[in-house]
Amino acid sequence: MLIHFETEASPGVRQYLPYDDRTQTLRQIKDYPRSFTRVPAQPLIDRPLTLSELTGPTEIERRLPTGNADFSCLVPGGPRALGQFMTVAGRITDEDGAPLAGALIEIWQANASGKYIHEYDSHQAPLDPNFIGQGRFLTDAEGGYQFRTIKPGGYPVGSNDWWWRPPHIHFSIFGMSWMDRFITQIFFPGEPLNEADLLLNGIPDPEARQRVMFEPLPTKVTKTLNILEFRRDFVLRGKSKTPELL
Amino acid sequence: MSRAPVQTRTETRPAIVSPYGTIGPFFPFAFVDDANDLTEFEGRKAMGQHIWLAGTVVEEGNVPTGNTLLELWQPDTNGIFRHPLDPRHADADPGFFGFGRARTDRQGFYRFRTVLPGQSREPDGTIRTAHANLTILAIGLTRRLVTTIFFSDQPETADDPVLRCVPQSARPRLFARKDNALAASGLPGYRFDVVLRGAGETPFFVD
Ligand SMILES: [Fe+2]
Repeated sequence: MLIHFETEASPGVRQYLPYDDRTQTLRQIKDYPRSFTRVPAQPLIDRPLTLSELTGPTEIERRLPTGNADFSCLVPGGPRALGQFMTVAGRITDEDGAPLAGALIEIWQANASGKYIHEYDSHQAPLDPNFIGQGRFLTDAEGGYQFRTIKPGGYPVGSNDWWWRPPHIHFSIFGMSWMDRFITQIFFPGEPLNEADLLLNGIPDPEARQRVMFEPLPTKVTKTLNILEFRRDFVLRGKSKTPELL
Repeated sequence: MSRAPVQTRTETRPAIVSPYGTIGPFFPFAFVDDANDLTEFEGRKAMGQHIWLAGTVVEEGNVPTGNTLLELWQPDTNGIFRHPLDPRHADADPGFFGFGRARTDRQGFYRFRTVLPGQSREPDGTIRTAHANLTILAIGLTRRLVTTIFFSDQPETADDPVLRCVPQSARPRLFARKDNALAASGLPGYRFDVVLRGAGETPFFVD
């Protein structure tokens, strides 16, 4: 079946193909109960992309204000949150490899004991008075971003310990239009809980699965620096609409 | 570097796009709760008819779906998107940003305060029936769901390019209806209920 997913070519219009399911998380995952009561049973409907889908919020930080990107303490120089201090850096590009400058990133994560600041989090673990674990910041002109935080703990889903989520950090990204609005969660390499996590292993393709893993950088042991550093790049859907002749 | 030809899902293309993930249960309320009012932007009031756009989200078995995130993107009262791709964007209402967020409570209820959108105009002159775009993110959804809200008391343009793709029998489910029970603070209410799965399922689009 062909998917008609493009609009008429016009200047500045970008091309968005449907997500290729082979690179994505399964829509329904065995033993992940909600995916069987919430994922639509009817086939998704193909439609052309109009201005409505090809536009999207610009300068979104004027609606969703950004702050500083240091989540390891509440105020600069203040007491550090419990847990392993770490940094994350990366770059956001489109499918052409072009940087997405000024993209807004939201992150949210559990504290070191696996507890979120959230009304619905019933995990019997303490909050950390020096940790909030949520905030917003922008990518720079090269699409680069970085933030500091502490490594989150794993946490149980529900109350009977049937599923412990491995440590992960949630990302929400506003790209260039309604079509590349993106949400995911990023995992830590080498965590034993990764082996059985329903969501991580809901990405069947091993190569695609690597794209939701932090890459550890070699620890820099110098006179002044010895920090746990991770890298995570994102490729958002979309490419420049250049004429494809021949 | 040579480019691959325009591709469709039936052909191979490099598997490079980052995998989507579920929003999960703990998206911060603080990221949502000041964002469901689209009728004001940077101290200016939006032009046009202000409305409540509200409803419930349910899943299989008509069970309310709490703790979902809904995101709205729409043009202003004149149908202009605040985005450079819209040929009319220089005339966009400076008091209207066009993006908002709401979440459902435990009963599955959500509510936006927004502006009744005008008819947008495609670069080729096609007029679109007045509409707003809605994205739904929730536990259990490893990908977002996207749909379009039309308004039952607004004129339908001939052959709306999106509406015409929806089977005739399912089209009424994409229309928000005026509902006096939702009117408040002098603003009319429009009800748009979402059925994620099951009888009366809301039409969702390929994404
Ligand atoms: Fe989480």
